[in-house]
Order: sequence, then C-alpha cells, then structure tokens
Amino acid sequence: MASSANSNQVPKLYRSVIEDVINEVRELFLDEGVDEQVLMELKTLWENKLMQSKAVEGFNTEEQAALQAAAQQQAQQAQQATQQAQTQQVLLPPQQQVTSWQSTRPTVTSAPQQQVIVQDPKILQHMSATGMNAATTAATLALPTGISPYQQLITSQGGNLPQTIYLKTVDGQILQVLRAANGTQYIIQPQQQMVLQQQVLPQMQPGGGQAPVIQQVLAPLQGGLPQVLAPLQGGLPQQTGVIIQPQQVILTGNKVQQNAQVMQMTGQPGQVQQIQQQVQQVQQVQGGAAPGVPQQQQQPPMMLQVDGAGDTSSEDEDEEEEYDEEEDEEKEKDGEDGQVEEEPLNSEDDVSDEEDQELFDTENVVVCQYDKIHRSKNKWKFHLKDGIMNLNGRDYVFSKAIGDAEW
Amino acid sequence: MAYQLYRNTTLGNSLQESLDELIQTQQITPQLALQVLLQFDKAINTALANRVRNRVNFKGSLNTYRFCDNVWTFVLNDVEFREVTDLVKVDKVKIVACDGKNQVNDYFSHSSLIIRPSQ
Repeated sequence: MASSANSNQVPKLYRSVIEDVINEVRELFLDEGVDEQVLMELKTLWENKLMQSKAVEGFNTEEQAALQAAAQQQAQQAQQATQQAQTQQVLLPPQQQVTSWQSTRPTVTSAPQQQVIVQDPKILQHMSATGMNAATTAATLALPTGISPYQQLITSQGGNLPQTIYLKTVDGQILQVLRAANGTQYIIQPQQQMVLQQQVLPQMQPGGGQAPVIQQVLAPLQGGLPQVLAPLQGGLPQQTGVIIQPQQVILTGNKVQQNAQVMQMTGQPGQVQQIQQQVQQVQQVQGGAAPGVPQQQQQPPMMLQVDGAGDTSSEDEDEEEEYDEEEDEEKEKDGEDGQVEEEPLNSEDDVSDEEDQELFDTENVVVCQYDKIHRSKNKWKFHLKDGIMNLNGRDYVFSKAIGDAEW
Repeated sequence: MAYQLYRNTTLGNSLQESLDELIQTQQITPQLALQVLLQFDKAINTALANRVRNRVNFKGSLNTYRFCDNVWTFVLNDVEFREVTDLVKVDKVKIVACDGKNQVNDYFSHSSLIIRPSQ
C-alpha cells in the first residue's frame, strides 16, 4: 500500500485517544450516577461510527474487522453483480419470516429504465445496511434468466388474449400475473402468510415522464387462497410519471392487504413490456395506522399576491404596474413565496463556484496549529504543526507540515 | 483549556454524534456530554503533540486567506500533499490553523466552525 506510514499510524492514534477519553470520563460518569454500561455504549457507538466513515483503515478489534471485511466483500460482490446484469432484481433473503423482494423488471433497452435500475442497488444496499444485519444480508441477484423465457412466451401470444406471466420469487414461489386484453393486469399470489418489511426510500423520484420501477410490496395472504390483489392500471401510456412513495411499508401478520400491492404494467401488445410498478397505497399494519395516502407528484404551492405592486390602483403608474405585474406573475408561477422584485435583480450577481465543488462528498480539511505564516509579495509559506487532515475521504495526521503557495 | 479545534474531525464528529444519540435517549445529560468533549479536547491535543512524529509537505496555489481572532483560514487549490511514503492530490483544501505558540486559554473556542449545538 502506498500510504503505509500514515495509515498505520492513524488507527493506533485514534484507538489510543478513544481509550484515553473513555478512561478519563469513567469517573465523570460515575459521579453523575450514570451506569458503566452507558459508557460502553458510548465507546461502541464511537468506534462504529469511525468504522463506518471509512476515513480510517483497518480500525478496531479483530472481531469487528472480520465482520467488516465480510460485509465489505458481500457489498462488493453485490455491486459488481448488479452493475453487470441488465435485468436487475434484488431479492433479500428471508429473515425470521420476513421476506421482501422486488418483482422483476425485464428491461427494454431504453435509457430511462436503465437509469432507474441503477439506482435500485444503491437503495437496496442502503436498505440492507439499515434494515437488516449488516453481516448477514447479502444482496443477491435473482436469476434474470428465470424471467425472460416466461416473458417471451407472453409476447408471442398476441395482443388480445389474456396472458399469464410467471414471476419467480427468491424462495421459489411462483406468482401468476394475468394480463387481460385491455392491458390491466392482475396478480394472483398463491402464498400463505408472509411478513414483509421493506423500506421505500425517498430517493427515487422520476424525472418528468419517466417511469422508474421501484419496489413491490407483497401483501400477506390468508389461508393459502389465491387472491387477486389489485387490479392493475391498464391503458396508461408508457411514460406516465410514477411516483415513488417515501414511506415505510411494514406488513405483518394475518391481515390481508388488498391494495398494498399495485403493479402497473403498461400493456402494449406485441412489444416487450416494460413493467412498471407504483406503490399507490402504503398501509401500516402495526398499530392499525390509517392507510397511507396515495401521494401524487407534489406540485409547488401557488402563492397569491395580496398586496404590494401589481394591484390595480392609481392611473399614474400604469406602466410600472404592468412591469411589476409581469414580474410577479412569473414568480407566482414559479411558486416561490414572495421575494418579490429583488430576486431577478440580484440573482446573477453571485460568482461562486461552490456548487461544483459541493458535489464532492468530502470537503478536504486540515485542522492544525500554526507555528509561522510568512508572506513575500504573493508567495506564502506555511509552518504548521499537530494537524489532522481529511483528504479525499481519508484521514491523515502530522506533527509538522510545511507548505508553499502562490496567491 | 485545550483547543476545541479538533472537534470537527472524523474522530471528533463521531464522538459528538454518539454523544448526541445518548442524549436523545436520555442516557446522559448534555452537561455530561460537554464534559466528555472537553476531555476529548485534552486527549487529542496531547496525543497529537506527543504521539505523532511525521512530517508532511504541501504545495499549491492560494485561493483565499483570512486571519481573524488569531485563527488563520486558508483555501488552497490544486494541492499536493507529500509525505515520505506517498502523495495525495486534491483540487481544493481548507486549512484552519490556531495559534501554535503558548496556547491561549481558548475562551472563544472558534466555535462557529467546530462546536455543533446538540439539538
């Protein structure tokens, strides 16, 4: 490794600082009457955050290092796998009667959908990290091959016949999807009790006109009866905007959720289908919360102007009024709440190029102390000491740093 | 009282976040959290002064400089940080440096950059 010296030093240094701090504050904790366990929890939280930040390499105890290595390997495999496959279906392994899965999205080779699908692994990885045990989840790819043959059967059957699509879930169950003539599609799910837990993260919002596919939530069924869950919306144009619901879906137990699952397939007979999903209603079973309100694409609030320029008043200032009215009308359409005339005047004054640089996750920062700062014309010399640096996401330390720069 | 300068680092921020979580769950009081942070300041200052022994050189172009309350803040562009073993290049770096001689009692603590109010 290139950065051998510093990266060996940093974890040890951090470890020693942590130990020092924890030992020093133990007394403080006891004085306040706080249990030793809380102190241990502080230490654990602290160490975990450091590990997660990846700013430090090879941090921490062997156990945790092993776990971390395992999780990283799995994450890497998942990433590589998802990036390669065209059809991406990520299925999380069932845990304790919790099964969550994504329905397949056989993809057309259209750009929008590929974009959408690329986003999914990230979401799912995030899901897997937060929702499940990091060490045990592995995002595995479902077999795309299991899907496409079925699909080909369908497309060859012609347009007007009701068609059956078979989708296979991770635990081997087969879902039947009936596709009626007019494009409406029904999902028949011969499954028994199933508990699902899925998080729909509010990260995916379609650009205008695209129809990203997100996640499908299956409702548990009772008694093994095949149940038609929800009629799908047929007859919609392919490019409807699908809204992703940023809500948590937790379905448990024996209740039947009728509308929890919506699969929206745009039916265009004779074509390879884009299967689009839209979670329309999210219901929280636990606690019997009210069903989630179907969300629509949020539109910016329209603000009406009730005072100020633009009102019809004196005759003398007709021209000014017209000008102001036009301005204000534009602003109303934008939906902004009245910064009024100043915005178009000042909006172009900023010359900052911060926006480009904010795209990076890390701001490279050095915190240190200065011994001497020297300047000659526009040549600056820096003599610094005792610093911690975070560069390109990684941490470094120094006892002395000397630098030159031209202004 | 040691500089609170190092609170806005990976180590310091992770400590603050952990303390915030414990405050949220009411396992510790904010007062105790503050005491922990003060102890952290001491520990990190001592560790850096005593346990680190390496030198770094850097070179770049200076974009901005500021000297206020005895704190230098620089923004450099296209910088190369060089240690004996390796080289790190960045497009932009911000350097915050407190006075290294005879540490003044840090009453101001340059907190606008560093101390986050726990909510």
